[in-house]
Amino acid sequence: MIENFLTGTATLFGDPFTIGVFVFGVLGGMLFGAIPGVSMLTLAAILLPFTADLSPAQGVMLFAVIYCTGTYGGAITAILFNIPGAPENAPTAFDGYPMTQKGMAGKAVGAAVLCSAIGGVASALVMMSATEPLAQWAIMNIGPPEIFALVFFGLAVASSVGGRTIWKGWLSVLLGLIVATIGQDPVGGINRYNFGFTDLAAGIAFVPAILGFFAVSEIFVQAEKRVGGTYSAPKFNVDFPTFFELWAHKIAVVRSIFVGFFCGILPGIGATLAAFMGYGEAVRWSKNKEEFGKGKLEGVISSETANNAATGAAMIPLLALGLPGGALTAMMVAVFQMHDLEPGPLVFYNSPDLIWVVFSAMFYANLSILFIGLIETKTILYLLKIPFQFLAPMILMLASIGAYIGRGLVLDVIVMFVAGIVGFLLRRSGYSIPGIVLGLILGKIGEQNFAQGMQMVHYDLVTYFSRPICTILIVAGVLTLLKSLHSAFYAQPSQS
Amino acid sequence: MNLTIILPFYVDLFSNNTTINGYLNEKYKAWEDVMTLGFKHKMSVAMLALGLSGMANLALAEECRVSQASMDRPNGFPDRALTMIVPYGPGGGSGQVAAAMAEAVTELTSVNINRDHKPGGSGSVGLTAYMAAPADGYNVLEHIDDASSAHALDSSKPNPAVDLIPLVISQVTFSQIYIRTNETRYSDWPSFVEWVRAQDGKATIANVSAEGSMERVIMKFITDASDMKIQQISFDKGAPRYGALLGGQVDALFEQPGDVRNFLDAGNFKPILTVFNERPGVFSDVPTHKEMGMDFEPLLRFRGFYVHKDAPADRVEWLKWAFQRAYCQDSYQAYNASKFMNVIDSYRDTDGAIEMINAAVTQYRDVYKEMGMDVK
Repeated sequence: MIENFLTGTATLFGDPFTIGVFVFGVLGGMLFGAIPGVSMLTLAAILLPFTADLSPAQGVMLFAVIYCTGTYGGAITAILFNIPGAPENAPTAFDGYPMTQKGMAGKAVGAAVLCSAIGGVASALVMMSATEPLAQWAIMNIGPPEIFALVFFGLAVASSVGGRTIWKGWLSVLLGLIVATIGQDPVGGINRYNFGFTDLAAGIAFVPAILGFFAVSEIFVQAEKRVGGTYSAPKFNVDFPTFFELWAHKIAVVRSIFVGFFCGILPGIGATLAAFMGYGEAVRWSKNKEEFGKGKLEGVISSETANNAATGAAMIPLLALGLPGGALTAMMVAVFQMHDLEPGPLVFYNSPDLIWVVFSAMFYANLSILFIGLIETKTILYLLKIPFQFLAPMILMLASIGAYIGRGLVLDVIVMFVAGIVGFLLRRSGYSIPGIVLGLILGKIGEQNFAQGMQMVHYDLVTYFSRPICTILIVAGVLTLLKSLHSAFYAQPSQS
Repeated sequence: MNLTIILPFYVDLFSNNTTINGYLNEKYKAWEDVMTLGFKHKMSVAMLALGLSGMANLALAEECRVSQASMDRPNGFPDRALTMIVPYGPGGGSGQVAAAMAEAVTELTSVNINRDHKPGGSGSVGLTAYMAAPADGYNVLEHIDDASSAHALDSSKPNPAVDLIPLVISQVTFSQIYIRTNETRYSDWPSFVEWVRAQDGKATIANVSAEGSMERVIMKFITDASDMKIQQISFDKGAPRYGALLGGQVDALFEQPGDVRNFLDAGNFKPILTVFNERPGVFSDVPTHKEMGMDFEPLLRFRGFYVHKDAPADRVEWLKWAFQRAYCQDSYQAYNASKFMNVIDSYRDTDGAIEMINAAVTQYRDVYKEMGMDVK
């Protein structure tokens, strides 16, 4: 492995043009990930036709690098402006933005930079050492029943995040789950709750909903404060987290690497579930659950470690089996095909040079996050000095573009503003925005896998529970739920 | 003919100092696991290899049925980029064919095409958006047979043969049933059917089985004709669907060959049934449904490009020429060959497309009524 890695490194840095492609990917991914309204997918779609003029290794490497740095880039806007660059950065906003409001933006961004790099590098190392056996294990042992069980396990802690009471937390999650059912059902393709509108048959897209619940509702909240005379601008602070602050969260980092990697390795799941599960596990194991959603450093650390840990893992099913884990890895398939290659087992035998250039590039791209991220952060934090009356319209404009650009539907802009208004009202009443978003995103993934899983076991729960991983996760989820209910009953008088 | 593709093949072939068959067998050894020995096998391996090497470009270039190499732009149209609405995501079959066709049209005419992906609702979101776009010829649509089946089920939905003008259908393909190559419980269609019957409805097949979809209709034909019950598991994305078969989560897979080519090349999957009236050359050792005693007309997957019926006639004529001629471009032919879209005739001009769509609508409507579905 080391020899191959060194060969890949030599190929990567032995040719000036290849170095140029690498640097372009690193900077482009960070930039497009960080600018609200566009994402790494936008950059990838623009670049796709041009990869035909690159060598296969350069083309695939470029996309892999964009994937690594773009996943991190979205964290910046999530933390500073409550605008997650992509769904996988949404949990970062749960605690990152409250930290900004408390004058701790530097700590949040610094933690995001460092943990993205750690998660990504760790993931790249595992990817390099065991791609083929891990891919085989994942597809042999993880099917729809296990993925549903994983989602259930993740949702079981969702009520603890951000709500004024556990009951309000649960109601928020349930609202998210209901919203997730809008659109065609995942099995029969039957329209639900679309009220005759064709566009609604496609369901509520994640990005407009997230932009509405986070960015737009936040602007309404701040505007209300301004009108009421209680507004205070976020304190400007560029202090990074200290070594000891980060060391105190070492267990959260390791746990998120495992969680992120496990989610990333599942075909068709990718970094979004990883980030939510990483965050959820941080909440589950914390002694101070009530602090999450209110500006806890561990929330940022867990989310950003997990989503970048998923990047290397998502390459495993793609390269070993030809199974893309998400939209960007699906585009990588197109890059392969443009060069008459198909990702899959034969790539390891037919194009080992390509594989190791890609592996090496992902490793160095994650290291680049650390160095470039720390340098750019000092500059980006100055954006917080822009007065609210200028910043708010800019955010609204960029969020509107971001909502529209994904599918080019006016409906998505409407959804964003409706989510913003609903989010604003619910936040006033103590309901949890993170809970709604968790319900929405995990609900869609969970429902589909539950339906597929039930079909696979012929609607026989005994067969369902004969799958050990599935049983362990569901039992653990039920125990968490019972504990949550117990807490709710006993804590209710003091909380209300 | 694309010499940059063909020449390396010959250089490689002759530098190996071997016969063509010897060379092909050496280079594409993985297919030995998939196909049985014999002359037909060698021929099919050869055909596949030729397709992979771009040789199919030559054969298909001869099929170009638009003799006119250039056409004057009517009153300067188009004087700016076209917009192509694609009702599916960029990574799937529609996204890829849209990209390949857009590239080919641009190569031919120097007119850029911006692709606007509007996925969701089994293609209905993109279709609705297209029908609302200006019918000025600057907006074109990519769509698949889902538009025909949707109209068959609900006649208020746009009829692709009436409300739209097909510019070209550029991909026509058939479906197959796949199993894992290392499967030990069954090895071919008869043993698969026997095994499925013994499971009493508990066997599973991965599919895209939305209500009324081509996949579900064909599976109904197959299960009825074979007197077997099989649980269809619906996966809307390719990766989990193929992963389910690879990992043994399901017993078989219903798919089109171009979408699983890498698994066929790698020797992971093996086709055991072709749903087509005759054996395509590449799959000459895979029986057809008719040979296995199933007497139904196969429904085909087809992807094509359309313009609104109200677009100006002279612009429509130019667009027809551009898209039909672009089909013959080397880049497009290479793309189609890479997707097994050259093993049956993938080309339909406007008249051929209308005939195909009308036939599909009629057939879907009959089947839906037979299935007891609410045909409007």
